[in-house]
Parts: sequence; C-alpha cells; structure tokens
Amino acid sequence: MIEVKDLTKYYGDKEGRFKALDNVSVSIKDGDFIVILGASGSGKSTFLNVISGLETIDAGSVSFDGHELSKMSEKELTKFRKDNTAYIFQQYYLLPHLNVEKNVRMGADLAGTKDFSSYLEAVGLKEKAKKFPSQLSGGEQQRVAIARALAKKPKVLFLDEPTGALDEKTGRAVLDYIIKLKEKLNFTMIMVTHNENIAQTADRIIKMNSGKIVDVSENAYKKDAYEIGW
Amino acid sequence: MVVSIKDTSKMLGVSIMTFCAVVVCNLFLNFYIDLKAIKDTVTDPFAVSMYEAQVMTSKVVCSLAGGCLALATIVLLFFYIKHYIDSHSKEIGILKALGYSDLKISKSFSLFSLSVFIGCLLGFGFSFILMRKFYELQNAGHYWEDIKIGYHPELFLLLVIVPTILYALFACVYSLSKLNRPCINLLKGIVKVKEKERDSKDRKDFVSEMRSSVLKSKKTLVFFIAFSAYCFSSMIQMSAHMDELASDFMGMMILSIGIVLAFTTFYISVSSVLFSNNKNIAMMRVFGYSASDCKRAVLDGYRVAAYIGFAVGSLYQYYLLKIMVEIVFKDIADVPEYNFDFKVFFITLAVFILLYEGTMLLYQKKIKNISLKEIMLE
Repeated sequence: MIEVKDLTKYYGDKEGRFKALDNVSVSIKDGDFIVILGASGSGKSTFLNVISGLETIDAGSVSFDGHELSKMSEKELTKFRKDNTAYIFQQYYLLPHLNVEKNVRMGADLAGTKDFSSYLEAVGLKEKAKKFPSQLSGGEQQRVAIARALAKKPKVLFLDEPTGALDEKTGRAVLDYIIKLKEKLNFTMIMVTHNENIAQTADRIIKMNSGKIVDVSENAYKKDAYEIGW
Repeated sequence: MVVSIKDTSKMLGVSIMTFCAVVVCNLFLNFYIDLKAIKDTVTDPFAVSMYEAQVMTSKVVCSLAGGCLALATIVLLFFYIKHYIDSHSKEIGILKALGYSDLKISKSFSLFSLSVFIGCLLGFGFSFILMRKFYELQNAGHYWEDIKIGYHPELFLLLVIVPTILYALFACVYSLSKLNRPCINLLKGIVKVKEKERDSKDRKDFVSEMRSSVLKSKKTLVFFIAFSAYCFSSMIQMSAHMDELASDFMGMMILSIGIVLAFTTFYISVSSVLFSNNKNIAMMRVFGYSASDCKRAVLDGYRVAAYIGFAVGSLYQYYLLKIMVEIVFKDIADVPEYNFDFKVFFITLAVFILLYEGTMLLYQKKIKNISLKEIMLE
C-alpha cells in the first residue's frame, strides 16, 4: 500500500522557484491499476518519480507498506527500489550494447530469476533473444523493456507514457501486453499518460493539473487496449 | 560548421601530450644540433666517448619519447573524434540529411589539430626556458667548451608546424571513415554492434555481462588506462635513478612529465567511461543496483589493463636504463651499474595501488551522485 500525504515538491531556486506538486494526498492499494492523467507540466511525472523513490520531496510524506520513503538513506532507497519497484519509460532506455536476453537479465538478476526466457516468451520475443536493441522496432524495444521490468518481479510497476513513442497499432499491442501481464501477475501498476483514452483501461483515474490532484474517479467501465479510442 | 573552436578547448589531453612530447624532443634535438656543431673541437678521448654517448642518448630519447607520445596523441585524437561524432550524431545526421557530404563535414574536424598546435607551440616555448639548465647539466663535467644555445627554425617546422598539419590530415581522414554511416542511424543515435560482440558467451551475472560490454564498446580506453599506468610506473621508477645516472633536474623533469601524463590520460579515460555510460548507470540505479554494482559493471573491467600497464612500464624503464648504461655509456667511467630496484618498484606499486583504488572509490561516490532524473530529462 502506498500512502501519500500532503506531498509538496518545488523545483528551481529562489527566483525561479515553482511548485511542481502542491499538497497532494492519495492512497493506492496493492494490486491497483492507477492512471495519472494530465497535460504536460501538470506534475504527473514528478508525482510518479517521487512515489517511486527516484526524487526527494520538500514537504509531506510518502510511505510504502508503512515505510516512509523520505526518511530512507540512499542505501535504503536503493534496496527499496531493488525489492519493490520497476520502471518502464517512454524512451525504453535499453542498454544498446547488450542483446535482448542480457537486457532482460538486468531485471532478472536482481530478483534472482533464473528462467528469464519465460518473460521474453510472455512478450512474444523469445525468437529475438539474441538481437540487439538497434535491430528491433520501437514496439519490440518497449516489449523488451516490459520483460526487463517484469523479470524483476516488482510489487509496483511504474510506467511513464509507455506508449508515447509508438504508433497506434504498436501502442495498442504494447498496452495489451502490459494489461494482460498485470492481470496475470497481479502487481500494483501506476501509469502516467496524457491520453484520456488510455486512462479508460485503469481501475482508478487520478487527474492532475498545475501540481494538484483535481479529480480521483473509479473507472466503472474499464476497457481493454483494443476497445479504447487512440 | 560542425566543430567549433570551443570544442577544441575540450581536447586538453591532446595539448598536454603534445606539450610533453615537444618539450622533451626539442630539448634533446636542439642540444643534438648544437652538439654536432662542435664535433670537431672535441678531441680528448674521454670527451669523444662522452660526446658519442650524448648524441646517442638524444637520438634514443627523441625516438622513444617522441614516438610513444606521438602515437598516444594519435590514439587520443581519434578517440576524441569518435566520441564527438557519437555525442553529436543528431546534428551531424541533420547536416547529412540536408545534403552535406561526408568530406565537407570531415573537413571541419581538422580544427581539432588546433589543440595539437597549441600544445606543440607551448612545449616548444617552454623547452627554451629549461634549455640553459639542460645544457649546463649535459656538460656538467666540462667535457667541452660551453655550447651556445642556438635557435633552429627547422625544429619549429618539425615539432610545431608538421605535427599540426599531419594531425589535421589524420583528423579529416579518420572522421571521414567514421562518418560513413547511414544518415538515419546518426539521427536516431543507433549504435551498430559488431558481429563478434553478438556471439559473446554467457557470463555468470548481469554485472559481468555489463562489464564485458563496456570494455568492448570502448576498447581505446583500455589502451589509455594501460598507458596512464605505464607512464606512472615507468617514469616514477626511472626518475628515482636519475640522480645517480644523470641529474636531479632530469629526474624532476621525468617525474613531472610522468605524473602529468598519467593523471591526464587516467582522468580523461575514466571521465569518458562514466560520461558515455551515464544513462546506463542511471538506469541501473533506477532498477535498484547499488553504486558499488555500477562501479563493478562500468569501471572494474579496466583494472587488469591498469596493472598490466604498470608491469609493462616497470619492465620498460628497467630495460631502457639498462641499455643506456650498458650500451650507450659503456665507454664512460664512473657510470654506476644498473640493476632492477625492487625497493623503488614496491614503493611505486604501493603508491599506484593506493591512488588507483582510492580514485575508483571516489568515482563510486560520483556514481552515487548521478541524478536518476537525468535520464528522464531527455
């Protein structure tokens, strides 16, 4: 369970200082699929970075299963990320000199997962295990990033615009993979997007604007990746 | 067009290497020419053998120091160019997409030889500051009349102008070969992995895989790490014997050049490894790898090269001094016998281990401070 209370985050120095997050409070249950929806500059990515322990906060608190992230040392935060979280970015960030299999091993080794090929199979890339990122399409690279993240067996998966760099067809396919794997493995999933259609796939939608949460709604009419508009 | 004068200012390493090479070469070559001029006046048998020994020393030192440093400078220049093309691939890709030819783009890389020119020019000037003291020490035994320091324009041509032109040509030709990539690969920053690397055998864990991949992707840096250890080892050990074999001044000169070269190349190499792996390190940290894991993956692979460089440097200085003592100075009386000095070797090794491992720990701290946000800001 992630508990966020009165979270405030500033960027910049005295003159150019601005509030990226303004008194944000929310609680996320285990197994939830949350979408954080907002336009560019709304603070959604900052929020994701803060609750995943990548960024520090200026006020408020973020606790994960009762452990306060802001009180953790750098070493404890590293262990927290190692044991609990995985990240998928819009730009994939695969390691270019390692093949697909070895990229997935980056996540698998941390969880002690020996059979990482099953994750490649899950994203339909087992035959491309020996290929390098530069030899894959954008969609395939993002699927490798998914396999790498899931091989880590995370309790929470953070996704920052995972389909943002993909065309509609590939984007839908990647989103479908993510949702199906989430249902199968039942981890908590927190995804940032500016696309209202994609938000329709989540259990709960948190809308953000100017660093504040402006609306939290349960999504009674959950759709799959092929039912939503794009 | 592509390369600006500001970019060449980052090539401090090239300037330092050429500076050191030209200081040493100009001291010995200038002395060699001036010494040759008084050949007929040297008649005393002892003075003749001393004369022959000094002529030979000048030739050996110029060939070895000049040759080694010129070669290392070429490698460093090529490394900078490759690094520049990799880090500016998008801008270069845009130029190629607009219709600029590889040749036209490569011509701008000749500007990199400006750093060679600056290093050579400063080295040439600085050598004249040391020249008087150097001449006095070379004739400390008053074997011949005092030699007047001559200025030889041909040396300026040979040590300043010719290297600048040659390095400009090298820069053009090398960059031309590196620019021969599809425009789309440059625009997208796609890294082509060589066939050999594709079939590398599986290793125990990810960190080992990463270490091996980092080493393979930056092979030039293996050379530089080894070279910096080689400079440190050979020149420090060599300088320790200069008070007996030559003079304190010579010892200080060798020690200074050794330390400057070792630290410059080491700093450039390690900083470059970290810079080019910034995103990979940040990604590893995001996933929960510790700073120590990242250091093992990115920096520890170079340790073997460093210690090999140290060993080669120790052997090199031993055989060089041995040859100088037994062959070049064989007819000169009172030249002490030269044996491998284990005491100096172990002290240098201990200092090297302390400095190398200590610096690696400092870089581990630097890794810890790499902002995880860095990769998200792209």
